[in-house]
Amino acid sequence: MENILEVKNLTVKLNGKTILEDINFSVKKGETLAIVGPNGGGKTTLLKTILGFIEPTKGYVRLLGLPPKQAVKTGKVGYLPQKNNVPKKFPVSVLDVVLFGLVNSKLPKKKQIEKALEYLDYVGMLEFKDYPFSDLSGGQQQRVSIARVLVAEPEIIFLDEPSTGIDMVAQESFYEFLKHLKETKGLTIVMVTHDVGVVAKFVDKIAGLNRYLHFYGHPKDFFKKEILEKLYGSEIELIVHAEECVACEHFKFKIGDKKC
Amino acid sequence: MLDILQIPFIQNAIVGGLLIAVLLSVLSLFINIKNWSFINVGISHATFGGLALGVYLGISPIYLGILFAVSTGLLIGYISKKGDIHEDISIGILFSISMALGVIFLTLTPNYTSDLFSFLFGNILTITREDIYLLAGFSLFTYSFLAIFFRKILFCCYNEEVAYTAGINTDFYYYSLITIIAIATVLAVKLVGVILASAMIILPAATASQIFWHYKKIIISSIILSILVVLVGIFVSYQYDLPSGATTVFIYGILFFFALFVKKLKKGR
Ligand SMILES: Nc1ncnc2c1ncn2[C@@H]1O[C@H](COP(=O)(O)OP(=O)(O)OP(=O)(O)O)[C@@H](O)[C@H]1O
Ligand SMILES: [Mg+2]
Repeated sequence: MENILEVKNLTVKLNGKTILEDINFSVKKGETLAIVGPNGGGKTTLLKTILGFIEPTKGYVRLLGLPPKQAVKTGKVGYLPQKNNVPKKFPVSVLDVVLFGLVNSKLPKKKQIEKALEYLDYVGMLEFKDYPFSDLSGGQQQRVSIARVLVAEPEIIFLDEPSTGIDMVAQESFYEFLKHLKETKGLTIVMVTHDVGVVAKFVDKIAGLNRYLHFYGHPKDFFKKEILEKLYGSEIELIVHAEECVACEHFKFKIGDKKC
Repeated sequence: MLDILQIPFIQNAIVGGLLIAVLLSVLSLFINIKNWSFINVGISHATFGGLALGVYLGISPIYLGILFAVSTGLLIGYISKKGDIHEDISIGILFSISMALGVIFLTLTPNYTSDLFSFLFGNILTITREDIYLLAGFSLFTYSFLAIFFRKILFCCYNEEVAYTAGINTDFYYYSLITIIAIATVLAVKLVGVILASAMIILPAATASQIFWHYKKIIISSIILSILVVLVGIFVSYQYDLPSGATTVFIYGILFFFALFVKKLKKGR
């Protein structure tokens, strides 16, 4: 299978500070990759470099076989940023926001609206279609943004902490929906997350990032004490406590030297 | 009252005033959602420098005005995009330099009779035929541009990073919008003065968005509001021999506070 994303010898310095150093990995079409790591580890910076917002200091990125700035022009890339930097009181409805996702669509307007409503339904926000977007709660806005990304039917999506602010039930159905898109449409998913439980049951590969790429591989090899400690330093106990049972239920393996 | 419509300069004032009012009220939506009111103040003051230099050199002031305004607008836009210096500071510096230059040029101009006052407040009653043609042409261009690209431009305003990843050339729309606003501002400054130009591009959508939240309603009500204000402004200033610019700004101001009041009432219920 072809590599839809390739990151080679990537080093990124911002204001003279090295944020990412010598990162190498690639993602095949249809794979799901989770990028995990401590706060400030460079996850968002990596996504922004892959998408062409930040120029690499060294090395390069190939997205869909193209340099990032050309890749995004194909309209096949979706992005859900970590921060929803929408101006306050932005004068659009929830439906308008989802329609932004179809900005390049050649469909007639009526079909676009039908499609947008369909995706609003998927994220459980259909009843809010005529609401002002800025009046929604943070989690509701995030759900609408997810519909906005997915309605464009991209080939590869980059999600920066997509479950931020979303309640448990909605999270569950969101990940089910992603899985469905992956299985039916071969969607490639790259997401930053702190949710180790989700990581374990849902993704094909994990990238453990903290300036260096400390780990890249299958989830089952990731939950090892020495890897987690190298990645998170001393904060490991915290993470293990928070997620151990969820992860164990689904994978039936030990985390560190604790048993569930 | 109707006999004043027979007077040619009143006719020009009404047509020109309405053209400018509609153009600026459409653009005011973007000024408000991008929080660009300060950029606009920067541009209108820079225009003053350009117009004054034009008068001093004896070159058609409007073109130098456009040159100054567009380059100031693009520079402020660039600085605010870069985010290294706070944009308020860069705008403050740029427009005081340009204003200072303007005053110096005007003082240096021999036999300069027209007063500074008219640059600041303009005189809607001195609009000429040519001004009207220029305005009509530029308005037509602006409306076509916005009609074709509206959704993309709004998307860029919504979230530039996200719009970029959807394959939109965000820089193009960002700088085009600033250029259009800069040129519209120069045309407005020449006709109605710095102060009224700012009022006409900030207040319509600011007022409308107190009452409506959706952009379609904001645009439509901004246009209606501006048309009414300009008509009333011209009539009142002519009838009572008041300065037209200041009268119009005052009416805009009253309506803004009225809208605020209406919003409070609606909320209170
Ligand atoms: N523009 C910038 N200039 C200088 N340093 C920056 C810049 N942007 C980010 N950084 C630094 O880069 C490091 C990585 O930031 P980044 O946002 O990529 O982390 P992250 O892994 O996404 O963290 P989080 O989990 O909190 O979202 C941080 O130390 C941050 O201070
Ligand atoms: Mg981040």
